[in-house]
Amino acid sequence: MSVLADALEHLVRGIVDHPDDVRVNLVTTRRGRTLEVHVHPDDLGKVIGRGGRTATALRTVMAGIGGRGVRVDVVDTDR
Amino acid sequence: MVSETLQATGAEQEAEQAEREAPDQDVDRGGERSSDSEDLLVREGDIAGDYLERLLDLLDYDGDIDLDVEAGRAVVSIDGGDDLEKLVGPRGSVLEALQELTRLAVQQETGVRSRLMLDIARWRESRRAELAEIGRANADKVLASGQPVKLQPMTPFERKVVHDSIAAIEGVHSESEGEEPHRRVVVFPAD
Repeated sequence: MSVLADALEHLVRGIVDHPDDVRVNLVTTRRGRTLEVHVHPDDLGKVIGRGGRTATALRTVMAGIGGRGVRVDVVDTDR
Repeated sequence: MVSETLQATGAEQEAEQAEREAPDQDVDRGGERSSDSEDLLVREGDIAGDYLERLLDLLDYDGDIDLDVEAGRAVVSIDGGDDLEKLVGPRGSVLEALQELTRLAVQQETGVRSRLMLDIARWRESRRAELAEIGRANADKVLASGQPVKLQPMTPFERKVVHDSIAAIEGVHSESEGEEPHRRVVVFPAD
């Protein structure tokens, strides 16, 4: 796993009710690299935050530590 | 338009008031309440410290984490290597984002909303002096011209420091206007 994925997984685990259900995968598609954040369905709201505020904070930190150009997508585990 | 500024100032006043009232509470309630809230702030710092230390480990960044309680809030400062600049980011944007996440991580553990302040590579400390000077310089401009001056868009932290520096000067006052992230301080001559 990449450093970015590890760091993101740690940041998300700290802010949810079900840390053991958090998984982050770095996937590469034709459109570029994406960090897919999987969380427990009950934690989706927490990770996205009011008005997307928490997801934006996660993206900002990822961009800061070298993940510029890497998408961060939050997906619930049902999908 | 100024509600957010007033709110921030209100919170500061609350904290100051809490400090002033602490001795009375010691007499009335045997210090129970003030030591309880002090304990909570120390705990906030500990949780934040663990969260950030693990992040530094994963990123392999050098950094010393210092925990403190100042003016009724937990303060976490990280100092160390050049890598830390990445955690500050352009105009402190990454620092603000990381502070937001750290507050959420603290709240997750304590169940209480946190007002914790995070500083990295002394960015807030140095930026504070710069911003206070921007506030004073623009207050002088308004005093000389009698015309309002609009400043550059700033983060809530930056606006707060500018408002505080302008509030200390007679003959001018300031308000915030616009929506984030374009919200900015406007300096007015006193009516």
